[in-house]
Amino acid sequence: MKDQLVHTLTAAQQKQSLWEEFLAQLSTPGGPSVDSLEPLLRSLGEEEVCKGLKRAADAVPGASEAELLRLALRASGRIRRELEEEANHLRDTLRDLATPMVRIWKDVLLVPLIGSLDSVRAETLAERLLEAASASRAKVVIVDVTGLPTIDTAVGGFLIEMFAALRLLGTSVVLTGIRPSVAHTLVKLGIDFRMVGIARDLEDALRMSLELVAGEEAQKKKHSGLPWNTAGEGNHDAAG
Amino acid sequence: MVVHIRREQDIATARQVVKNFAQENGFSLSDVTKATTAVSELARNIYRYAGTGSVCLRRTTRDRGTPGLEIVAVDRGPGIPDVARVLSGGFSTYERSLGIGLAGVRRLMDEFEIRSEPGAGTLVRAAKYRRGF
Repeated sequence: MKDQLVHTLTAAQQKQSLWEEFLAQLSTPGGPSVDSLEPLLRSLGEEEVCKGLKRAADAVPGASEAELLRLALRASGRIRRELEEEANHLRDTLRDLATPMVRIWKDVLLVPLIGSLDSVRAETLAERLLEAASASRAKVVIVDVTGLPTIDTAVGGFLIEMFAALRLLGTSVVLTGIRPSVAHTLVKLGIDFRMVGIARDLEDALRMSLELVAGEEAQKKKHSGLPWNTAGEGNHDAAG
Repeated sequence: MVVHIRREQDIATARQVVKNFAQENGFSLSDVTKATTAVSELARNIYRYAGTGSVCLRRTTRDRGTPGLEIVAVDRGPGIPDVARVLSGGFSTYERSLGIGLAGVRRLMDEFEIRSEPGAGTLVRAAKYRRGF
């Protein structure tokens, strides 16, 4: 109760001092500047400032309301540009934060997908993931979709495309985090993710990934084309 | 309640509104997801093909007062020349789509109706009811 009262009183006081400052400038020969209107607009809002300016123009001789409003508009534009810049900056930050890519094991990249995917985010995500997979030479990418609220045909189609592109880079994909309700919806929509490995949970996904990595390593040894290897195989064949 | 679809973000808004509605009316988790996905599908169709349109949400009831959610998606877009073919799945004029959207909506919802006229627009009405015991 007391805090609220203090808050109201100080707010009124602040308003008063802001107007006082502005009115002092109004009566100087140069008139008020854009700078003096900015704090007023910021703390009182357009509506109240407009009303105040009208009254000031009526009361102070020589002050033109149109001129004052023009100044206010300029100040408002300055504030808007500032906010836009801030919004852009936040968007960039969000984009980086929203698509973490974690190397959780040798040759294994974990990508948890979070939030709703619009076309811009999906495009950026695909680009960044393909870059990361290629740069890190990851053999397996685990895609965790626990954080995706809905998977409709657009998001499903995007994921399928992304998986296909990853495989073109020689990277296997393990998909995890499909919730029971989402699973049913996917089946109804006819979206099929069977082209990639599917794991029950992250633990299962990691196990599958390590098996995939180990399998690839074993295959490499077998087909490494070293002379003693081929010779050995050849001999074996001849003997058989 | 009406959600106007003008920008891509409006699809997410439509989704959120339906999700809240279904949750408040005691839909099961699975049905919340189905209704949300269906509305996402419809809103995205409007955004993609017609550019603008609207999605209306309404509370409805079925026999003996089972509460339900009715979605009506309307646009004045190019319309669908061959509705039957679209509903059979695997048909789309948009490169990126899987072409199974509308057929999917029909499977996700309990009731589904579509009226479309080339050059005039499309109207889709779909409803989902809370399941009894």
